[in-house]
Amino acid sequence: MEAFAGLLQGFDVALKPINLLWGFIGVTLGTFVGVLPGVGPALTVAMLLPLTAQLDPTGALIMFAGIYYGAMFGGSTTTILLNTPGESASIATALEGNKMAKAGRAGPALATCALGSFVAGTIAVVLLTLLAPVVVEVALKFGPAEYFALMVFAFTTVAAVLGASTTRGLASLFVGLMLGLVGIDSQTGQPRFAFGVPELLDGIDVVVLAVGLFAVGETLYVAAYTSRLPETLEKMSGSIWMSVQDWKRSWPAWLRATAIGFPFGSIPAGGAEIPTFLSYSLEKKLSKHPEEFGSGAIEGVAGPEAANNASATGVLVPLLTLGIPTSATAAILLTAFQNYGIQPGPLLFQIQPDLVWGLIASMYVGNVILLVLNLPLIGIWVKVLTIPRPALYAGILVFATLGAYSLHQSWVDLATLYVFGLLGFVMRRFDIPVAPAVIGLILGPLAETQFRRALSISQGDASVFVTQPISATFLAVTALLVIVPWLVRRRRRRTKAAA
Amino acid sequence: MRRSGAQIALSLGVLALGAGIAVGTSYLPSQGGYARIGPNFIPAVVAFGLIVSGAFLLYEALTGGWRSMPEPAERTEHALHWGAFAWISAGLIAHMALMQWAGFVLAGALLFTCVARGFGSARWLRDAAIGLAIALGVFLFFVRVLNVSLPGGWLKPLIGGL
Repeated sequence: MEAFAGLLQGFDVALKPINLLWGFIGVTLGTFVGVLPGVGPALTVAMLLPLTAQLDPTGALIMFAGIYYGAMFGGSTTTILLNTPGESASIATALEGNKMAKAGRAGPALATCALGSFVAGTIAVVLLTLLAPVVVEVALKFGPAEYFALMVFAFTTVAAVLGASTTRGLASLFVGLMLGLVGIDSQTGQPRFAFGVPELLDGIDVVVLAVGLFAVGETLYVAAYTSRLPETLEKMSGSIWMSVQDWKRSWPAWLRATAIGFPFGSIPAGGAEIPTFLSYSLEKKLSKHPEEFGSGAIEGVAGPEAANNASATGVLVPLLTLGIPTSATAAILLTAFQNYGIQPGPLLFQIQPDLVWGLIASMYVGNVILLVLNLPLIGIWVKVLTIPRPALYAGILVFATLGAYSLHQSWVDLATLYVFGLLGFVMRRFDIPVAPAVIGLILGPLAETQFRRALSISQGDASVFVTQPISATFLAVTALLVIVPWLVRRRRRRTKAAA
Repeated sequence: MRRSGAQIALSLGVLALGAGIAVGTSYLPSQGGYARIGPNFIPAVVAFGLIVSGAFLLYEALTGGWRSMPEPAERTEHALHWGAFAWISAGLIAHMALMQWAGFVLAGALLFTCVARGFGSARWLRDAAIGLAIALGVFLFFVRVLNVSLPGGWLKPLIGGL
C-alpha cells in the first residue's frame, strides 16, 4: 500500500511538535478570522498569507491546512448566529441553522456543525489519501494536451455550468483570463499589457485580486447597501450538547452528506454550493420530521455543513494531484504553494513526498484540533461576533491593504487593490460570480503554457487535442456539459410555450 | 421589466475590455517557433471571449434584463448610501498616497478612521485611537517578529522600519 506508507511518513512530519504548533496556530487563527462576518474561507486564507513569509514550506502549508479548516468552521458559526452566510456554500446551512438559533437551540446547531465537519472532514481525508495515489498514477501519463483539455473542462464547469447564469459566469472567467495575460509571457519573454509599469511585469497576483474582490469589494458593498440595516445576533442560550435524539438524527445526515460532497469536490467541478443544496433537499425528503423543516430541523444543518466540508476536502484532490484549483480558496492555496516555488501535481508526490504526505497527515491532525478547540471555545467565537461593524470592517481593510502592499512595497499594488475592490463591488451588486475570475487568473497562464507546449510538440498541428484519446474525452465531456443543459432549457421553454 | 441602464453600461464595459485587448494584441508578435503560434494567440482568444460574453450580456440587458438575477425581495438591501462608499474610497486613496510618505502606521490609522466613519461611526477620535493602536501593533509584529519590511514614515525615528 503506497498510500499507507506515504501516510505513515506524513504523520512523522505532521506530529513533529513544531508542525503541531503551526497546525494549532492555523486552526485558531482560521477560526477567529472565519468567524468575522463577511469573511469567507478564501479571504481568510488570502489575508493570512503574509504571516507565513518566514516559515519553511512544510510548516507554512500545514498552517494553511489548519486555516482552511478553521475558516470553514468559523464561517458556520457566523452563518447560524447571524444568518449572514459568508459564501454561497453556507446558504443551505443558514436555512435551518438560523431557525434553530432563533428557537433557542443554537448550541445543538453549532455542535452538529462541529461534529459533522469533523466526521465529514476525516472521512474525506481518508478518501483523499486513498484516491490521490491513484490519480497521480494516471496523471503521470498526461502530456500538455491532456492538461490543457482538463483545464478547459475546469474552466467550463466553474464558469458556465455552476452558478445562476452562464453568461455572467463566462464574462467573469474571461475577465480573470484577461488579468492573467498581464506580465511577461513565460514562453518568449515578451511583455504583455504591462504598459511599462514594472510592478505589472510580474503579473497580477492572485492574492491582490482575491483580497480586492472579497475584502475591499465586500466592504464597499456592505457599507453602501446593507450597513444601515438592523442586524440581529442570536444568543447562545441553553446547552451546547446534543440530545440523544439530536445524535440519532444527525449522524446519518453527516454520512450521506459526505457521500455527496466529496465526489462533487474532487471532480474538477468546483464549488460546494450544489452538494450542500443536494444534501439539504435529500435530508428534507428522508426526514421523519419533515414538518420541522423551515422552523429548525437539525438534519438540515448537519447535512449541508458536512457536505460543505467533504467537498472542501475533495477540492484538494485535483489541487494536489493535478495542480488544478477548482474553487477560489483552492486558487489561493495554489498561490501559497507557488510562493515557495512548489508546483502541485503528480511529480510533487515523487519529488517531495514528505511535504505532500505531511500536509495530508496534518489534515487528520487539524480535524482533531478543530474539534477539541472549537466546542469548548464556542463562547469566545460568539464574542467575536459582537465586535462593532465599523471597527470590524476598518480592521479588515487595514489587514487587506497590508497583504497587497507587502508584495512589492509599492503603492501600485494598493491602487490595483482598489480597482479590484470597485470591480468586486459591482460584481456583488449585479450578481456576477467572482470565483471564475479568480480561477481564470491563476489557471489561465498555466493553460496557455500547456497549450503552446502541446502545439510545439506537434509542430503546430492543432489536431493533437482531439486525436489523443484522453484529451479528446475531456473536451467531449466539456462540450456535452455546455450543450445538454442548453438543449434541456430550450426544450422546456418550447413545451411551456406550446402548453 | 424595465431596462437597467447599469446592466447595459456593464455589458458595454465588457465589450470595451474585449476591444481594448484586441487592439493591444495587434501590437504583439506572432512568431512562436515550433508551436507556430506566438504570444499574441491566447490574447486574441481572450479578446474574442470578452467580446462574445459582452455581446450576450448586452443582448440579455436589452431583452428583459440579465437572466436569473435574484428577486428584489430576496435581497436585503437599502438604497445606495453614497456617503459610505465615498468615505471608504477616500480612505483607501489617502492610504495609498500616504503609505510611502507618512508610513504604514499613520496611513493605516487614517484608513481605519475613514472606514469606520463610512460605516456610520460618529466617534472619530476614538476610532483614530483604536486604528493607531491596531496599525502600530501590526507594524511591530510584522517588522520585529516576521522581518517583513514596512515603511516607518514620519514615525521612523520612534518605531523603525524602512
